[in-house]
Amino acid sequence: MTRLSGGLIDRNTSFSFTFDSKTYTGHEGDTLASALLANGVRLMGRSFKYHRPRGVVAAGSEEPNAMVELRSGARTEPNTRATVAELYDGLVAKSQNRIGSLAFDALGVNDYFAPFFAAGFYYKTFMWPRAFWEKLYEPMIRRAAGLGRLSMQADPDSYDKGFLHCDVLVIGAGAAGLAAALASARAGAQVILCDEDFRLGGRLMTESHRLDGAPATDWISSLEAEFETFPNLRIMRRTTVFGVYDHGIYGAVERVSDHAAEPGDKVRQTLWRITAKRAILAAGATERHIPFADNDRPGVMLGAAMRAYANRWAVAPTKSAKDPIAIFTNNDDGHRTALDLMSKNVPILGVIDSRENAPRFGDYDLFAGSMVTGTKGRLGLREIEITNGGTASWHRCAALGVSGGWNPNVHLASHHRGRPVWDDTLLSFVPGADGPAGLIPAGACAGLGSTAKALADGAKAARTALIELGMKAPDIALPDAEDMPVSQADFWHVPGKKRAWVDFQNDVTVKDIVLAHKENMKPVEHLKRWTTLGMATDQGKTSNVSALAVMAELTGKSIPQTGTTIFRPPYTGVSLSVLGGGDTGVNFRPRRLTPTHTWAKSQGAEFVEVGQWMRAQYFPQAGETDWRESVDREAKAVRKDVGLCDVTTLGKVDVQGADAGEFLNRMYSNMMGTVAVGKVRYGLMLREDGFAYDDGTCARLGEDHYVVTTTTANAGLVYRNMEFARQCLWPELDVQLISTTDAWAQIAIAGPKSRLLLERVVDEFDLSNDAFPFMGCAKLTVCKGLRARLFRISFSGELAYEIAVPARYGNALMARLMELGSDLGVTPYGTEALGVLRIEKGHAAGAELNGQTTAKMLGLGRMVSVKKDSIGAVMSRREGLASDARRLVGLLPVGSTERLMAGSHLFAQGAAQTTETDQGWVTSACYSPHVGGYIGLGYLENGDTRMNEEIIAANPVEGSEMRLRVVPAHFVDPEGERLRD
Amino acid sequence: MTDLPPITALGGTIARVETYGALSLTENPAMALASLALRKGQSVPSPFGMTLPEPGKWTKSGAIGVYWVAKDQWMVEAEGRAEEDFARVLKAEVPEASVTEQTDGWAAIEITSSKGAAPIKALLEKLVNLDAAAFTHGAALRTGLEHMSVFLIRRAEDRLAIWGMRSSTETLWHALAVAARRLEGI
Repeated sequence: MTRLSGGLIDRNTSFSFTFDSKTYTGHEGDTLASALLANGVRLMGRSFKYHRPRGVVAAGSEEPNAMVELRSGARTEPNTRATVAELYDGLVAKSQNRIGSLAFDALGVNDYFAPFFAAGFYYKTFMWPRAFWEKLYEPMIRRAAGLGRLSMQADPDSYDKGFLHCDVLVIGAGAAGLAAALASARAGAQVILCDEDFRLGGRLMTESHRLDGAPATDWISSLEAEFETFPNLRIMRRTTVFGVYDHGIYGAVERVSDHAAEPGDKVRQTLWRITAKRAILAAGATERHIPFADNDRPGVMLGAAMRAYANRWAVAPTKSAKDPIAIFTNNDDGHRTALDLMSKNVPILGVIDSRENAPRFGDYDLFAGSMVTGTKGRLGLREIEITNGGTASWHRCAALGVSGGWNPNVHLASHHRGRPVWDDTLLSFVPGADGPAGLIPAGACAGLGSTAKALADGAKAARTALIELGMKAPDIALPDAEDMPVSQADFWHVPGKKRAWVDFQNDVTVKDIVLAHKENMKPVEHLKRWTTLGMATDQGKTSNVSALAVMAELTGKSIPQTGTTIFRPPYTGVSLSVLGGGDTGVNFRPRRLTPTHTWAKSQGAEFVEVGQWMRAQYFPQAGETDWRESVDREAKAVRKDVGLCDVTTLGKVDVQGADAGEFLNRMYSNMMGTVAVGKVRYGLMLREDGFAYDDGTCARLGEDHYVVTTTTANAGLVYRNMEFARQCLWPELDVQLISTTDAWAQIAIAGPKSRLLLERVVDEFDLSNDAFPFMGCAKLTVCKGLRARLFRISFSGELAYEIAVPARYGNALMARLMELGSDLGVTPYGTEALGVLRIEKGHAAGAELNGQTTAKMLGLGRMVSVKKDSIGAVMSRREGLASDARRLVGLLPVGSTERLMAGSHLFAQGAAQTTETDQGWVTSACYSPHVGGYIGLGYLENGDTRMNEEIIAANPVEGSEMRLRVVPAHFVDPEGERLRD
Repeated sequence: MTDLPPITALGGTIARVETYGALSLTENPAMALASLALRKGQSVPSPFGMTLPEPGKWTKSGAIGVYWVAKDQWMVEAEGRAEEDFARVLKAEVPEASVTEQTDGWAAIEITSSKGAAPIKALLEKLVNLDAAAFTHGAALRTGLEHMSVFLIRRAEDRLAIWGMRSSTETLWHALAVAARRLEGI
């Protein structure tokens, strides 16, 4: 055990956990990383390419090395950073990216072949033979150079989403963030304070600095108590703001129950979309390291992380005087680690400072003007080599803290393509002025890293935000805090021939950058792709700037001239589950149920998805073993007796106003304003480009009242287009529109006995052919006074009606019609029989109106009126469309009982079957019980003049073809007598 | 009266009620709904003696509620009159305007809180992208909820009504029930 005294852990609450099946104990307040270190575990993973043993480097979300598979079974979560995995009782973690044990990884052999794995090696090596890529190289690379593994089981947990709105969003609850939240909340603004950690405080928790002479945690506690009193402040712990989006919207993930073994009733995570008038980015800074030879051994850590483990988690990597800790730094801040560790009686080898004039801050050995030039220790650091002016010496050392300066966390401020700017004094990038609007960087992420400056800058940022929002900014008293100036050397890496890691997670070394430079991959974006630097799950938080410095050195340019890559969300990894969120399965997306759904279900209907709708597809009866049996029976019943079909899903748009007729004339290609009150007319709508896109009927219920029906598929589209036309194209017209699709249950009653059946439900309404002829419509009442609408229209070609009642009565009306029609042979039919009936009648549906067809092709060329203008009319007359000679025809197989496939292409007999000789295609096909065989509809070049010609339908995908005879597109009642009867 | 028995949007013969902690969801099949749209140039009428509300607002007088839905367009609610031809009643009030029956185009779900405004606010935050704190008594908005178009009405600090498309009421109810259940602890 290497626990120290103090720290923010609850020693009275112990948690048992396992890492690679070995059981350990930690405390509440620990992370997995701190608990492993406390148990003397330094080796936590293997590197990406070379499978080098790796230990924890950082103490926060920037961690590149200590990644584990957390939990087990379906809840296994790969690539989880041990530094942010909050310890809980029963936690199970496994190391990843190894074959064998973590201590003996068979793929460690990769390290010996390192010269072959240099920058760009994938691009160079796995070029040929090409066929090997998918089958051999890619799986092999994925296996060897992967990170964690997915469980391949469905995620058992729930995820949620939500929306928050506020005046001021404070991102980060360190010194700057706390001051900003306090000032904003006291001003009465609606404030949200988010922090990725499970405790507020940020680096205040990890430094030994005092505030007003007391531990910083005292100030945090008093602040938290005050925060409780603000109803206008929402504190969101364990919440990472991962991206800035348009219009002041911030993406954030709250880890609701990641700190529990199982979420129980709770969701695991929540995706919040936060709309903030202003945001204060108080994201702090990340320490960078200094690449030197073999700097990746477990035990080599960031200096500030080492300090964080000691101060917050009361853990040191060693307590043995024989194996002391050393610090390697190029700046004053690095010395703090030595001081803090010494104050906790941790043995110190000394501070190795690259600066000749390195200052001394305490009683420790100072190696001024020195560098660490090598390390030893197979599975963890044992010795370091210190070189001073060409003289090298080896020293026993169990852990090395490396401090190369701080990089402000400019990420969010650099979303929206904001470019960070270089600060020559700080030797780091700070947020530029062109970051996201409304986002104010403050504190260490703005380059103001001393505690006093961060506190003051947080308060200042709040003041700026409040004033911009027109609110009064109160003066808040801030505690006295350290404000030590930090001097730093422009020293980026230790020169040498051995590998010096820059990007630990993706195994990118200084040599790789040198090679990339040699191979002319000098621009920063090329450098990134060629070496994969910064492309791992940590997105290079600890490596990017150092790599730029190395490249700058090679090119002789400055670091700002070298530039940065583009920053994009997410700041840290976001699980796909929380992005997907919500439901899976039946509630994955909205389902629309028809008014007769309950009844259809009780009849054992099979349902089919039609857009969002669930429609009855067919109604199997006892003894029917094949869907075709049911469909044939239903179709025959309509031709012989009477059938019922719920057609509610067809869109209905209520059109009113003095100019409703004129409006419809412009929407439909054919004349619609002239339809008489009490009549229905078939109508065709064209797109702006002249193609046909929807058809339906339009009923005139009153002088200035029409009901437009659309196809099911285009109900939303047609309504939207009508609204666009009303509001934007012709605002001068007096037209009012509203959808009534859901309001009315509409049932088709089709077949020779439909009138007989209908007579049994209408209240004193004359249904005779004279009184209510084909294409008539009326308002009436049914079933003792229920308001209804009746339309005499037919999709099947039979005598038919559609009756509409308020949707709540649809279910009962269907049941009533079935009951009253039992002696007439009444039969419910679904969408399959509906399709058969309309193909037999030659009526167009979605397959014929597929967006590539013209009115002429449909045989409806004359429906594009030349007496008026309408949407798409002019464009429909352009040569390319007008000259399309394909026409809708009926198709009958010749000498074959095989199934005719829709989608088959049509060719002249004996012609080569190529794109050039293609003469059209089969749009719809079905088995027709009326004809007693397969029939089809299709578009055929000059089809209207080729009746009785035999052609070929080819299905090259399945290698089949069929002879077809061209016939008129009406297989039943070509004269249309039945529907007018 | 017709002898056809109506069913609710959720397919039942009586309104569904479910309670999750402080929140109760109740299907409201008795509420009639009709749209009122002004003709071009028409002056704004006062149906049932009511002043038609401004954008984003809902007002109520007796059993009649009205909320704004678009320029020159409102929805008019009538408690307990869903099985009447309420559109005809409204048309008689505003003979010059365009009126369309909407009762069964939508289904109302009334949400009540036994612990004041907080559970309603928390529920709104989980469901819709609007400033829940600003969506106070008398507010009405059309917005998207789980990919469905809905009207929200804040009938009181502790009451929220959601009008959703009737055909997708089952999905809407599921979404509301899941969100309410997850808030049971608050």
